[in-house]
Amino acid sequence: MPEQTEELVLLEMLDHLLDRGVVIAGEAVISIGDVDLLYLGLNIVLANVDAVMRVSKR
Amino acid sequence: MKSLVIGAHLLRDDVEPVAQALAVGDLYLSAVDIENDQPLGDRELLLRVAAIRAKLLDVATFVAIRYGFTAGSAEEAQWKCAAHIAQWRRVLTAHREHVEMTLKTAAAAPRARPDRRDFTSGADYLRALHDATQSATADPELRAAAEELIEPLAIKHRWIHRDEKSVELAALVPRAQIDAVNAAGAALQARCPDVPFMLSGPWPLEVFADDHE
Repeated sequence: MPEQTEELVLLEMLDHLLDRGVVIAGEAVISIGDVDLLYLGLNIVLANVDAVMRVSKR
Repeated sequence: MKSLVIGAHLLRDDVEPVAQALAVGDLYLSAVDIENDQPLGDRELLLRVAAIRAKLLDVATFVAIRYGFTAGSAEEAQWKCAAHIAQWRRVLTAHREHVEMTLKTAAAAPRARPDRRDFTSGADYLRALHDATQSATADPELRAAAEELIEPLAIKHRWIHRDEKSVELAALVPRAQIDAVNAAGAALQARCPDVPFMLSGPWPLEVFADDHE
């Protein structure tokens, strides 16, 4: 198999491993773009991390 | 030690001896043992888990669980997964002989990715990101050819948007049709030689794991 094809297959495998499948609630910290992080917890909180930190400091 | 979970399976024999089996209700999770301080982003671990995932799919179709889910014990895995078990049993029973195949292609006219600095509101930014992602469309010629060549081989199919630059056709196909789907991919390449795309699979239940029949 040519090296470039092998790399593509490996990348595709890793893409499916890291970015697909069922997300178990309470387990995910998700990055969007290169700026924001979302925290997904127990199907209750879906919020910007900055906002969560602000609220938690009150 | 803790267990890094890979997928949910109908039978213990679908998991062992390829991976460790954790009983959750009447289903089984496949997992590998890792040290508590093992970084999940470690290259060797990622490659090891990707290889085990492929071997597990050779044995039987399973529900893929997003990488990173860990449990310290079978009891912890049980309560964390409790809400999913009935749905997993349903799809695992319905789709034991089916696998997913994915056709990924570049968006025909991608919209520019929104810049966070252009938005004062995080909600508006997320909405713009969502809109940019949803606006991605495949090359019309490729889409028409894929619908003609691949969709008839699928039990279910869905065009999905993951980002603003690409779009994917996910197809749930019988294992017996994998070669036919690959042949359809070759025919698609001959028909649309100038449109880059990648047909990959088989994959476990990823896109269709949450479907309610």
